[in-house]
Amino acid sequence: MKLAPVDYTILAVYFAFVLGIGWTLRKKMSTSGDFLLSGRSVPVWITSLAFIAANLGAQELVGMSASGAKYGIMTAHFYWIGAIPAILFVGIFMMPFYYGSKARSVPEYLKMRYDEKTRTYNAFSFAVMTIFSSGISMYALGKLLQLVLGWDFNMSILVSAAIVLVYTFLGGLTSAIYNEVLQFLLIVAGFSPLAILAVAKAGGWQGIQARLGATTLAGGMSGKVMTHAWTYMGSPQSNPMGVELFGMVAGLGFVLSFGYWCTNFLVIQRAMAADSMNSARRTPLIGAFPKMFIPFIVIVPGIAAVALAKMGVGYSIPLGDNGAPNYNLVITTLMAKFYPAGMLGVGLTGLVASFMSGMAGNVTAFNTVWTYDIYQTYIRKNAPDRHYLNVGRATTVVGVLLSIGAAYVATRYDNIMDLLQLVFGFVNAPLFATFLLGMFWKRGTGHAAFSGLVTGTVAAALTWCLTVAEGKGGILGVVHTFPSSMAQSFWIALVAFTSCFLVTLVVSLATKPRPAKDLEGLVYGLTKIPEDRGSWYQRPAPLAVIIIAILLLLNIWFA
Amino acid sequence: MLDLRVPSGWFFTVLGLILSGMGLFAPETRAALSDANVNLYAGLAMLVFGLFMLFMAWRASRRAA
Repeated sequence: MKLAPVDYTILAVYFAFVLGIGWTLRKKMSTSGDFLLSGRSVPVWITSLAFIAANLGAQELVGMSASGAKYGIMTAHFYWIGAIPAILFVGIFMMPFYYGSKARSVPEYLKMRYDEKTRTYNAFSFAVMTIFSSGISMYALGKLLQLVLGWDFNMSILVSAAIVLVYTFLGGLTSAIYNEVLQFLLIVAGFSPLAILAVAKAGGWQGIQARLGATTLAGGMSGKVMTHAWTYMGSPQSNPMGVELFGMVAGLGFVLSFGYWCTNFLVIQRAMAADSMNSARRTPLIGAFPKMFIPFIVIVPGIAAVALAKMGVGYSIPLGDNGAPNYNLVITTLMAKFYPAGMLGVGLTGLVASFMSGMAGNVTAFNTVWTYDIYQTYIRKNAPDRHYLNVGRATTVVGVLLSIGAAYVATRYDNIMDLLQLVFGFVNAPLFATFLLGMFWKRGTGHAAFSGLVTGTVAAALTWCLTVAEGKGGILGVVHTFPSSMAQSFWIALVAFTSCFLVTLVVSLATKPRPAKDLEGLVYGLTKIPEDRGSWYQRPAPLAVIIIAILLLLNIWFA
Repeated sequence: MLDLRVPSGWFFTVLGLILSGMGLFAPETRAALSDANVNLYAGLAMLVFGLFMLFMAWRASRRAA
């Protein structure tokens, strides 16, 4: 694919704007709270879009369109059964404790609610994880641009990392959040025309349904499965994901999604930057509206691509070196076929923007956790605020450099990165149980939370070691074979959650409870939940009802 | 505090002008699989969105003053 001068102009305009936003905000950064927490002063529409954008990295865009081509509309479950219910839960039920506790980070909430060791466990695993996920996505983007545009791998990751560094260094979290909103709007502008053009060319959704319904997928499944989200979920053998209803709803919809959206500081940080408790609670809810429709611009083009490839109109699914389809290239090859010079620039700039918003999200979350939860706790306790502001700034540089380092580790050791992601999965899977018991059960204790987390992680690892899917796992013997690694990861999460929940419960009852007055503002029943006033759109509950109604309609429509 | 509607409004206005300009003055620039003047329509949509953001920001600043 070749870019025209106008495409480069658009990329340059985008760079100028993100840097300009960072430059304008630099003067507002006078305390560590301004730099790391945005001084809790960001308007709600901005935090809402940033809440969604920080998660919408390049890997997500590319990965979701690839899964759309591979698994069809079932991929939308990552949004409709996965993200949205968890987002509603965190906004309605959990945000009062996060925002109301005055904690500066998610690990700090754990410190207030449980104890120091639980916080440290969470802070360290989170810090390492953010660096690696930022590095992995940097690697993915560099590879993609190299493959599609022939850009130099080193050049593209160094330039994008340098830009992220400059604007987060200048304007801290506020700059990252403001730019995430701009990036989100650009992603929508760059991707939605592609969805419209590709679907129209494939004969509309009806046309795609008819065309794919008449085909047979590898493994002898009917192509109808590509356009139905629920119909083929009775058994793992009847859909390409290899998952069944229970694993999907409980594993993905409950444990994994709630674990991510309700406890991951990367997204929670956006809501915590809001200007009031009411805004903090509405941040996830307002974000849920665009989130529900993102499948239409990332997953649907992938499905349309499969239909187009069967039509003989001059599009075919790109093949990798080994001759198998390389679905990761679907979105960029579609752009090359449907976008003229000019719009192509917007589309690719959108892709670069998604990468930057994901990376800036990771770096700013890393910053706060490092400065407050690790540095201030273990290295220097009672320094003047000025000192922590400087540490925050220095950590921005270190965070970006470490991400670049992680990207190069990924280029050398593909398997190490897979392994790390697996390990992080083990560490994350039980977390939601800890938070659930922490927020809604005042009897839960610190020793219990810590032993629950450790047990959950060990249980997850053991499950992986004792089961096999697609040739992975089972290094200690094979007790069960899963039809797909997706099913395996859903079940690992379920085991981790359940064991963490039970151990925390039992150990809590055996250890000394904390006095109720220590838990005010941290636990349900001991916290004053603010009354919601104002019109319907200013209150969390009516917003949630509307979201649920739309969500049901979408699920029925695409069932 | 910076009103984000101002920079994002300008950003989309500039993008919109570039694209709709391409659509008007170089309408023969087409992609392989599309007969539509994609630049023109997408450009106009971005232009309208950008101007709308600027208008909202202008209205808010007038009310604050």
